[in-house]
This record gives sequence, structure tokens and C-alpha cells, in this order.
Amino acid sequence: MSKEATVYVLDLGSTMGDCHSGRVETDLEYAMRYVYDKMADSLAVGRVGLNTGVVAFRTDETDNPLGDDEGYANISVLQQLVPMTMAQFNDLRTKITPSETEGGDAISAIIVAMDMIEKKTTLKTGKPGKWARKIILMTDGQGSIEDDHLEDIVTRIKEMGVELTVLGVDFDDLEFGFKEEDKSSVKKENEALLRKFTEDCDGLYGTALQAIKDLAIPKVKEFRPYSMYTGRLCLGNPETNPDESIYINVKRFSQTKIARPVAAKSYVMRSGGEASTQSSYTLPGDVEMTDAPTEFSAVKQGRSYTIKDPSDALGKRDVDFEDLARGYEYGRTAVHISQSEENVTSLNALRDFSILGFIPIDKYEKYFTMGESCMTIAQTVDDKSRLAFSSLVHALYELESYAIARIVVKDMKDPRIVLLAPYIENHMEGLIDVPLPFAEDVRMFRFPPLDRVISASGTALEKHRYLPSNNLDSAMSDYVDSMDLSTFGMDDEGNPAEYMEVDDTFSPIVHRINQAIRQKAIYDGDISEPAEILTKWSEPPTELVTINASKLESLIAAADVKKVPPKVKGKRNRREIITPLSGLDVDALLKGNKPKKISKENAIAEFKQILEDAESDNAVLNAVNQMSDIIRDLIKGSTGDSDFDRAQENIKVLREEMVDYEFPGYYNNFFKDLRKRLMKGELGGRRQEFWVNLKKARLGLIDNTALPTSDVSPEEATEFWLLSTELPTRGREN
Amino acid sequence: MADNDHYKKEEDEDEEELDDSNYIAQKDAVLFAIDISKTMLTPPPPSDDKKAEKDSPAIAAIKCAYQIMQQRIISSPKDMMGVLLFGTEQSKFQDEDSSSRGSATYPHCYLLSDVDIPAAKDVETLREIVRNADEGNKEELLEPAKEPVSMSNVLFCANQIFTTRAPNFGSRRLFIITDKDDPHGADKTLRNQATVRAKDLYDLGVVIELFPISHSDHEFDRSKFYDDIIYRDPADGVDFAIAPPNFKAQGDNGLSLLSNLIAEINSKEVAKRSIFSHLPFEIGPNLKISVKGYNLLQKQAPARKGYVYEKGEEFVWAESNTTKFEEGPVAREVGKVDIKKAYTFGGKQIEFTLEEQKALKNFGPPVLRIIGFKPQSLLKIEHSVKKSTFIYPSEEDYIGSTRVFAALWKKLVKSKVMGVAWYIGRANASPLLVAILPSEERFDDNNVQVVPAGLWLYPLPFADDIRGVGTLPKKITASNELTQLMWKVVQQLQLPGGVYNPSKFPNPSLQWHYKILQIMALHDEVPEGDPEDKTKPKNKQIHKRAGSLINDWKKKLDEEVLQFQKERYGGIDGTDLKRGSDGNDDDEPPKKRIKAEKNEEVLTDISSGDLKKMVQRGELKKRLVGEMRDWLKVKGLTATGKKEVLIDRIEQWVEEH
Repeated sequence: MSKEATVYVLDLGSTMGDCHSGRVETDLEYAMRYVYDKMADSLAVGRVGLNTGVVAFRTDETDNPLGDDEGYANISVLQQLVPMTMAQFNDLRTKITPSETEGGDAISAIIVAMDMIEKKTTLKTGKPGKWARKIILMTDGQGSIEDDHLEDIVTRIKEMGVELTVLGVDFDDLEFGFKEEDKSSVKKENEALLRKFTEDCDGLYGTALQAIKDLAIPKVKEFRPYSMYTGRLCLGNPETNPDESIYINVKRFSQTKIARPVAAKSYVMRSGGEASTQSSYTLPGDVEMTDAPTEFSAVKQGRSYTIKDPSDALGKRDVDFEDLARGYEYGRTAVHISQSEENVTSLNALRDFSILGFIPIDKYEKYFTMGESCMTIAQTVDDKSRLAFSSLVHALYELESYAIARIVVKDMKDPRIVLLAPYIENHMEGLIDVPLPFAEDVRMFRFPPLDRVISASGTALEKHRYLPSNNLDSAMSDYVDSMDLSTFGMDDEGNPAEYMEVDDTFSPIVHRINQAIRQKAIYDGDISEPAEILTKWSEPPTELVTINASKLESLIAAADVKKVPPKVKGKRNRREIITPLSGLDVDALLKGNKPKKISKENAIAEFKQILEDAESDNAVLNAVNQMSDIIRDLIKGSTGDSDFDRAQENIKVLREEMVDYEFPGYYNNFFKDLRKRLMKGELGGRRQEFWVNLKKARLGLIDNTALPTSDVSPEEATEFWLLSTELPTRGREN
Repeated sequence: MADNDHYKKEEDEDEEELDDSNYIAQKDAVLFAIDISKTMLTPPPPSDDKKAEKDSPAIAAIKCAYQIMQQRIISSPKDMMGVLLFGTEQSKFQDEDSSSRGSATYPHCYLLSDVDIPAAKDVETLREIVRNADEGNKEELLEPAKEPVSMSNVLFCANQIFTTRAPNFGSRRLFIITDKDDPHGADKTLRNQATVRAKDLYDLGVVIELFPISHSDHEFDRSKFYDDIIYRDPADGVDFAIAPPNFKAQGDNGLSLLSNLIAEINSKEVAKRSIFSHLPFEIGPNLKISVKGYNLLQKQAPARKGYVYEKGEEFVWAESNTTKFEEGPVAREVGKVDIKKAYTFGGKQIEFTLEEQKALKNFGPPVLRIIGFKPQSLLKIEHSVKKSTFIYPSEEDYIGSTRVFAALWKKLVKSKVMGVAWYIGRANASPLLVAILPSEERFDDNNVQVVPAGLWLYPLPFADDIRGVGTLPKKITASNELTQLMWKVVQQLQLPGGVYNPSKFPNPSLQWHYKILQIMALHDEVPEGDPEDKTKPKNKQIHKRAGSLINDWKKKLDEEVLQFQKERYGGIDGTDLKRGSDGNDDDEPPKKRIKAEKNEEVLTDISSGDLKKMVQRGELKKRLVGEMRDWLKVKGLTATGKKEVLIDRIEQWVEEH
């Protein structure tokens, strides 16, 4: 990444403290919205090579290296060109306030900025370094500007390669569509002067309003082209049949890559009362950077290893790292691989990009695409390859075909199968590729067809409540046609265009997090709602919906969809009879044969069956008590965690049934008792892990949101877990 | 860096990031119960047809279990499987020695391998039986019991296996492979006992799948017995079922019983696990239906690499436990509650509370909401970021969901239209924009459904996800003649059936990885020769079918290159080019040029003729290493090594060309 030197030249004249154009914020506050946002961008990037400086003009004082001669009076350097930190940013904000003065020349301030840039970006040899140089002038155009020697300055700016941006508060911009009425003559003249000056410098000139409006559009991070393969694209084997094979020198680049939100790091509060110490460190860019007082320390990870050992009371014991070797899983068998054989399981494929064959476009279903796309082009330095490549791209395009190819991006990497699709644009020709699934990647489950229903006897029905009526079909068709977005948008010229193109959609999560960090860092504010532009595509366009309201109504009527009423709880007395496929009444068979006592072996089935027949609360309680005994027995008798899963499953069934039969109290009593016993160690020592499992599986107290008859509040239910530290802990963890 | 890796991993596992209770529900345990009766052990009558079935149904079933076991090790390494033979003379249960009846808990039930994640020895056990059968050796295990086996016993045996081995698995299935449609005949007591045990299994949550085998002289009749022991969850939609399978001992559809069994089991092999359910699908404001989502595409990768403890009697996995501590002079161990998450901004840590972190990720409850419709042709192939999710209607929340879904599907198919939608798949998932694409039902040659009818959620990229190739020189377009010569090549080399059929392309790295692991686990010999790789191009065929066409194209290409270079760089045959100072203004010179300013032209620009001369004059060594590397890269050759190595490599190329 190249280095960057950006100097903001800010107008702090007393007029900047006024409010205009119906705004309630001062012009300075208004203008600084843009500047602060830009500064926040560099803070967010936090790259050492990004240097930011600030020069203010029309300041009360004069503080700049070019002296306090008349021309340079009332110009102050507020910040040298250094990488921006939060501390400096906060410091700047206290300094950026409207002054008491009118004096101070904008162009002179630009010269100060140029001087700063020159000093910063000139190499020791005297030659200019490889830097991006930027000056951004923000002014209300109310101060007087000297127009001497403008040409010389223009020449110098161009020589230095400075990118100049001039933004004016309420400057007229007819292209954008802004004009300030009752403009003072001074401002009119200044606007004309700055406009010409900027245009001469090949810079950007605009009104602050536009710049501020543009801030709402999320900034898409730009990446350098990332090459994923450089080498030959082959058809046939050039080694054995050079005259009968095609080999084209190509380069393949990443075309899509999912943008991820910035990652948070783990910190802990610094221990030992060092909270106020200020740490400073030197950055590679020979700039000393003072960190803000930090009360955080980074978190590091350590690892230890244990193996299962039934002979140990804990069921496992620690082992030394030295006694471990790399291994792979073959089912549950550990296959140990010594260091010398490290690569024994790898295929050792060699670098390759070969076409296997071709398919017609309409034989490919896009939903088979497995992931991110790449773009392959012919190597730009090889004319022969470029011609050959072009003929391949055009042949595919004209024949409406895709190629299927095998690619190994580097020696030893895994082969992948990709689909190659021709891509022809005004400026380029290429082959797009997307990964395809291997045999193992496809797990097609069978689903019943959607256009017919197969009855139990195997005949296909064409009329069924699962199948749409003709009426529904045509209502759906009309609705879908009416909600067409392919011409609902508008292009730059105002012609109908596709609505919601990729370029207009921004990753909500990426930008929301960026926005929140910035908000919090700069204004320490609470988290606000996501920006409108991020949720713009969460609803169909209102206009279109309104126009087609009648179509939707007809569809809703034809669809006749009904919400399933919430499940009526309480199985008791409303037993549904469950039968096997034959409809046999198994219950009748069971009658008289039903278990009276629940066995440990078949606890779940027997518990359920007893409950089904329970005639009284007492019978339920009796079953619960039996089940509780079995559960405690399982926990107590468990060697290590051997029976934990089984006990847990029994608890789960007990809980589910008590919710269904609406006996929250029975479960809660059991569960409270269980906790007590676990804490006392009555159910065997070191059962903490079991408690954690129960928590993970959410098998806690039944609260009154789950069942209104419960006398436990959700808070109590949550609280109930927390006390678990009183459980007998495992020796090692003390 | 460790931190970074961690995050990367988290992101990769984005989709699998389900809460624990869900995760448990995802695990699957399967027990194969294979009937070992006389008829099951009888091979079909000999036939002249080479494809005809040779295995007895029992052997076919065991072979099937053997293949499925190996397959599951690769495709679902966390799932369990077991094999139970019933009707055998011998009996054996967990931790029991094999014994004849009398002392056995479950007489005539032989637990060949207990329900567990398969181990190498389980594979070996099955392989032994398969080998013995293929070599015609007598297998003592496969000796039918002299008395009828009690099905209630078999079912309770299965009950106990599931209760003890997979107590909290969300999916537990008993696959019964048998040819006996009426095991107990008129014996009401035995029959009733079995029905009761089947009800126990149902209450326990175990699903029975029947794989009935018919003989040429006897059609399997489910209604005689099995309809009394098999239950279906009414929520699955009984009247929406796919016709039940039926197998023929002598094979069917021109395929052996084994292939038919494997195909059927494969379609049931992975329990139909939905990745989400109850998802409201808003087709328009105030028109909601409910759908379930399925992962029909899942990139398979080798199971994790870890550490094993070598010093014990057998190798065991070591579990790693991480502890976190504060960086600094005192490495204080810190607990989870102490750890705060913060972002770095301008050198400062910006901390968010847990509630704030949650709020940031929250874009509302799960929903799939249609924004509108577009022609499918507007979906550009380069706009792909990740695999699609299959959705299918469910009546669980809205009655009538299926017919509305079907109507939408029909319309999308008919008009070649796609929906575009805002999609939040589960609580706190980042919102995505998706295209909704319809799939039509497709069958393979054996009439087995390979693509179901339904809708796919195809994730669309955001502007942030788009990368590019950067600035390029002005394009060179081939002539029509050259392109048309290429047409012929393309037309000649269509893939079979004009489709990419994934089932013909197993992942070579994955297969090799497990093959070697299996060999090592079973202490077999590593085979000679190259690993099998079905993804390699069939070059012989390519040359045979299109060699001469390619040759025609190549000749024309050479002509055009000369012509092009002549026009562009002057000279008679384009060889005396001055390409370092490429005069074409709108042809932006590649950046590499800058390096070569001192030298007249870089290696990559030199024609092969000139290069040959240069090699002969021994001038190559005057060249910069970087240039040589560039040149080698352009040619697709290895570009690493010392200067002498690079020179050797270039000289060798020149000799060969």
C-alpha cells in the first residue's frame, strides 16, 4: 500500500460560526461533518503510512513555518503530517472552533500545506518519494483571497502531483443542483476564483452539501487485484501432443470475495492498578506515537492437553505435549502420523488449469455454484496468448457454452472443478469461473414433487390441498409479473433501469459495525439504528407495492393461508391416539400390560406410557418420582461422564412432558433437589461438567414464560444457574 | 495471528454456527439390522447375464453396510453407525462374548459392531465377512438360527443399543433389511410383544426404516406385519410421502440388489436434517407462509487433524484445553467474564458491552422477504459468493404454505423469473440479499430423483464483495475465422450428456486422504502407482476427437499473431520489434516495464527466436533473476530456485520449443 499525505486546510474565520441556509448548526460544524468523517476513515484504517495534517486559516493566532509575514498571517498549523490517533483527533476537536477574526488567506494556507507535504514526502536524495498527496480545502468563501501568482502555484501543485479538493459551504453547484440566493459579492468572486484555480489544478471543486450527502453512501473498501493463479490454461496435453493441444498463458484474479466485518479483539482490564500509565511506542514510520492511556491488556492463549483415562477419578489426566503426535481421524480411530510422513495423505497434485470439456449454457443450473468467483484473462504481455484466449472466449460466447475445467492453483494444493463462462465487455475479455461441487459435496435428499401429490397407493393426484388451484396460479402469475424490478430503477440519465443492482447494495453488517465503532469513538454515543441505506433493501419498494395492491389482495384471497393457532398446551385429557401405519390400536394391546414401575433400561418409553394413562395428579407425581430416582441413579453411578448423556436425555424428556402436561412444579421441585444434591456431592464428586451440560441444553427451571402456571420468573430461572460455582469443584481448577 | 486464524475459522463455520441444543439435534445414529435367514442367505439362481445378481440378499446387505460405513466416515464423521445381525445361531450383545442361546440377553441377535462413530476395526470386521463371501469361504457367523427369532427381542435389543450408545442423538434410525414379511405368522403373543416393543421405540424417538426384499416367487407384503410396527410423524405429512421402496433379491432396473440398496440408503443416509425451520417467507406484505431450509450442498473436507497420545496401549486423542491469560509481566489467568471485546480505532480500544454487540448484529427476527422479481437472465454468473440453500414448504406455521409455494415455484419455472429477497436465516444472522431460483425435478438413468423440485436461496454479493482485475491494456480480439475454428473444437468436446454431473467427479484429495488413512488404520499395504484422480482431463480422447481441429486452429493462430505483430510493431515478420517502447498510447504499459528501464527489453517480451539466440550466445546470465522468474511464471513453469537453476530451466524450455 502506498503512503499517503493528506492536509486539511480549514477555514476557521468568525463567519464560520454563523448559521445559514436554514441550518441550526454553524457553518463550521456543518463543514466539519465531512472533514471529521474523512479523518475517521483514516483512524479506522489505522495504517502507519496514512499521514494527516491540518492547517487552519483565519485563526486568531499565527503559527506556521512560513512566518508571520502579511501573506501568512492568521494561519496556524494545527497538526503536523503524522498518522492520526484518537488522542490527536480529540485534541484537534478542541482547537477547531470559529475565531474572532476575518483575516487569513486561503491560498497562502494551501501553500503552507504544500510546504508540509513537500517536507514529508521528499526523499533524502532530494527526489520526491512515492506518495499520494492530497489537499482538501474547506471554506465558506467569506474571507478575502489574494489572486497574485496563482499560475505559479498551479504549476507547483501539478508538479508535485497534489490532488486538490475544494469544498465550499453553500457554494453554487449547478451540476449538483445547488444555488445560494442572496450571495454576497465577496463570496461570488471567491467562488469564481477558487473554481478556476481548482480546475487549473485538475482538482475537484464542489459544494459542501454534496460532499456531506455522499457521506451517507457507505465506502466500499478497495482491494488490489489479487491473483489466484498464473500459468497455462490447457486443452489437451502440450507435453505429449504439442500440435494438438491448446495452451494459453493466463492470469486469474479474485472476482468476488465476501467482505467481513472488522473483528473485535479480546482484552481484559489491566490488573495491578496501572490503569493510568501511559504507554508509548515507536512506529516503524519513525514517528513517535503516543497511545491513549489504556486500561486494557491483550489476552493470550495457552494450551494444555488431557486424555481420557477411566482409571483416574476425573476420568481424564494431563499429558505432556512432547508425548503427542499429529493424528487424523478415521472414524473414531486415531491414525497417528509421524513427522516424516506428514504429507502422506495429501494428493500431491501439480499446478494445473485444464479444460475437461464443454456444456451448453442452458444445461447449467446456477444453484450448483459453490462459492466465490474468479476472472481469468490472458497474460497482458503475450500477444499470442491474448489472441488465442480471445478466440476461446468468443467461441464460448457465440456457441452459448461453458467450459468445465480442473484447477490446481499451486503445486500440492487440492484440485477443484470450476465452470468457465465467457465474459465480454467493451474494455476486456475474460473467463469467469465459479467452483462446482464434487460428488461428496452433493447430498440430495428426496422431496415430493410440487406439481402433483402421490397418494399412499402410489397414484399421482393433480388436485389436492397442497396443490395450487388455477385461480391461485393465475393470481400468483399476475402478482409476480406486477412486482418486476428489471425496469423499476433509474439510471444516471433518468431512464428505466434495473432496481437493486449489486453496486447499490452494501453489506449491512460490515458497515453497521464500522458506523458504530466510529460513532462510539468520536461521540461516545449509544448504538443507533442502522443507517437507512443499509436497510433500504429489506422491504419491497413502497411505490410498487401501492400500485399493485389489488394484485396482492387477489393473491391473498386465492392463497387462503391460515396461521396455525398456537399449540394448545396440556396433553392431559386430550390424548391424541398415535397409531402405526396400519392404524392398529397399540394402546388397546398395552392395556393391562402397561408397566406399573419404570425400569431404568426402558425409562423413557415407560415413563411416557404411564403418563398417557395417568388418571390423577398423584399418578403423574408417582411417575415423576420414579423417573427422578432413575436419573439420580444414573448420575451417581456414572464413571466420569459415561452416563451423563443418558441422564440428560431422561431429564429432557421429564421436562418436556411436564411442560406438556402442565406440571411445572413437579419438574422444578425435581430440578431444585437435583441441584442441592449435586452441590452436596451426593451424586458423586465432580459433577460440575454435568451441570454445565444441562445449562447448555437449556434444561433449567420451567419459568412462567414457558408455562404461566409456573411460579418461577425467567430471572429466577437464569439466576438458578449462576449459583453453580458452589458445586464441588474439580481439584485442578482451584 | 492466532486471533486472526480463530476468526477466520469462525467465519468459515458461519453456517454451522448453531446453538448447542440444535447441534445435538443434528447428530444422527443408524443401526443396520440385517436378517440372517435361510432365504436371505440363498443366492439368486445362476444367470448368463453378467450384470445379474450373484450375492445373496444377506451378503448384499452386509456389503451395503460396509460401503455405507466407509462413506459415512468421510461424509459425516460425527455420526454413529452400528450393525446388528438377527436370526443368527450365535448371539452377542455389548461387552458379551459370543455365545449360543441360553445365556444370551438377546438370543439370535448378533451385534456385529455397536452403534458408535465407526472405528477402523468395525470396517475391518465387515470387510472380513465380505471377503469371505467373495472368496466363497464359509462364514460361521452367517448361520441361521434353528428356531424363529423373536422380533420383540430384536426391537428391544435395538432400543437398548440406542438408549446406551446414542441417548441424546436427535436422529436415531433403525434400518431393517429383511425378506420376511410375516415373521410371526399366527402367533399372536409374539406379534403383540413386537408391536409393543415397536411402540417403545417410537416413544424413545427411534424411527424404523424398512428395506423389504422380495423374491421372484414372493412379493413382500408390508401390511402383514410391518405396518403395525412402523410409525410416521404426522407432521411429516403422511399423504405427501414418496412411494415406499421395494427390492428384488435378483436385482432390479438392470442393477444389482446391492446397487439398489445403496442408492436407496444413500437417499436416506443423511437424515433429512433441516438447517432451519419455521422460517417466515413473506411473498408480499401480509402474505406469509412457512418454509424449511436444507443444506443440499456442503463442501466436504477431511476431518480435523489433532494430536494423539502415543504412550498408551493404543493411540488416543488428546483433548486440548485453552486457558486465557493477560498479556504482560504477570500472566494472570483470566476467566470468560473478564474478557471484553474491543475494536481498535485510531490506536484506541473501543469497547462494546455484550448487549451492544448483540444489538449490532441484530437486524430483526429471521425472515425471507421478497422485494420483487427479475428475469433469471439478470443473474450474472460472476455474482456468486457462496453456495445456495434449498427451501421447501412446511405447513407447521401456516396452513396452505405448500400450495402457495407450489404456485410461486410454477410461475418462476414457467416465466424464467427469479425472486430477490432480504434474508435473515436465523436469529442474529447477518442479513443477505438472495436470488430465489426454482429447480425442476430431475432423475438419473435409474429414475432416482437427483434434484428435487423446490426453491434455492442464492446469496447475492454486495458492492463490498466485488473485486477486480485492475486496469488492463486495450483488448485484442481474435478474428472471426480464428473464433470459428475454435467453435469446432468446442462443439467436438462436449461433456457426456452436455452436463456437468457431480457424481462422476469424486474429490480426489478427499478420497486419497481417506484411502491412506484407512490403509494406515487397517495396517494394509500402500498401493503402487498414482492416486486415482477422476478430475483429470481425458487427454487421449481430447486429442483423438479434436486433435486435428486444434491443429487447424493453431496454424491460423500463428498466422494471425504474425499479422497482428506486423501491424502493431512494424517489421516484415514482426520479429524485429521494439516492444520496450511500445508506441501505442492507449495501450497502458504493464507495470513490470518500469523495472526494465535499464535494459532494452524484459525477457517476457522477447520472441522465442531471439531468446534462442540469446541462449546460444550465453547471454542469459546477464539477465536479472526477477525477469527470469517473470518469464518462467508466464510460461507456467516453476519460478523458484537459484539463478543457475532458473537459467537451466529456461534453456531447457528453449531446447524443447
